[in-house]
Amino acid sequence: MATIVETKELAETVIASLVAGVGVTTIFSAAIWGGARFVDLSRDGRPLAAGAAAVFGGLALVTTLAAVAIGIVVMTGK
Amino acid sequence: MDSDVILVIVVGTALAFDFTNGFHDTANVVATSISTGAARPQVAIGMASLLNFVGAFISISVAATVANDVVDAAVITPTIVFAGLIGAITWNLITWWFGLPSSSSHALIGGVVGSAVAAVGLDAVLAEGLVGKVLVPAVVAPLVAFIVAGLGIGIAYRVVGRQRPGPVTRGFRYGQIVSGGLLALAHGTNDAQKTMGIITLALIANGTLAANSDPPLWVIVSAALAIALGTYFGGWRIIRTTGSRIIKMDAAQGFSAQGAGAAVILASTHFGFPLSTTHVINGGVMGAGAGKRVSAVRWGVAGNIVVAWLLTLPAAAAIGAAAYGLTRIFGTGALGPVLVTLMALALIAAAFVRRSQQGSPVPAG
Repeated sequence: MATIVETKELAETVIASLVAGVGVTTIFSAAIWGGARFVDLSRDGRPLAAGAAAVFGGLALVTTLAAVAIGIVVMTGK
Repeated sequence: MDSDVILVIVVGTALAFDFTNGFHDTANVVATSISTGAARPQVAIGMASLLNFVGAFISISVAATVANDVVDAAVITPTIVFAGLIGAITWNLITWWFGLPSSSSHALIGGVVGSAVAAVGLDAVLAEGLVGKVLVPAVVAPLVAFIVAGLGIGIAYRVVGRQRPGPVTRGFRYGQIVSGGLLALAHGTNDAQKTMGIITLALIANGTLAANSDPPLWVIVSAALAIALGTYFGGWRIIRTTGSRIIKMDAAQGFSAQGAGAAVILASTHFGFPLSTTHVINGGVMGAGAGKRVSAVRWGVAGNIVVAWLLTLPAAAAIGAAAYGLTRIFGTGALGPVLVTLMALALIAAAFVRRSQQGSPVPAG
């Protein structure tokens, strides 16, 4: 049965799906958090903190896009 | 001469099946984006159609599985492939009629397995490939999508939970443009390849291609075009969508569900698993709903999906076997496939006319 069910490939599929799916959602949520904090802190007149939130959000957004691009290349590269 | 006529019929039938696959699945691919307001229907459908087309070109692993790992290509004839396609199309028509969210992919594989068994016997089936690459992933993949979407939405709510809803919703709506695009890309790459695999199997069976060949370029292009056109035209008849049928979702849930579906389908495609994209997407939608509130999911609809899932492989196999028997009544030449094609077209036309008189059904997915 172990040879019929391709355990290694199936396990890799599950792990890749978990890492990619949960990871991207988490990082993108962080990007949204940064964006939302930037808007609120700017409105409160705290430019330094707003800038830090914007940088954090921007980095998270770039990481999200990079993760998506790498994921597509890796997952379809066979 | 006869075998070439049968091959032409098989290719035409397979492309028609591919078109109906896109037509069926448009709702699954775009419903989440439309229901959360992330994209206007015209934009979501146009983008899904284009990305389904692009997706068909980025991998051939699934096509190789369908062509080489499910049934023994050495004993398959174009007539067997034809009967399998008739089994799949007929089952799709039946589930469309009753509004069951069945899987076109499982119907296709079930149909071909059934006709192969009817023609050659159980020896025609490659149990290792059928179980390891089709049946087990068919069970695992929707569950993984459910878990990924549930975990994803749980974390997302924790991260952005204290922020004002306005910017958060806008942010996730923008995100859904990417996640919806990824889902369409993933759908195109997994589903179009099944048709490529079936046409390649017929070409191998006819002796046009050597065993274990990859799909030729014309097969890839025609399968990509068929699923893209099906997706485009399917979009204009969406009555009730996946999103609103299973849960009422917000933009964060939509993002999480689409991301989970795309991740599972792309990862499975990498290993050549021919999944039911319908079941994976529905698994993601249910996971995103349950991650917020378990009672938000309409579990009755989820139950119908499970029932349809259990029925599809054996039912399509039985119809595929019957289609092969019917075809062989008229001999081994092209007459059988020609007559059965005409019967199938008449049946489809009658079903559409009858249904249009009664009102539109729920898309079968």
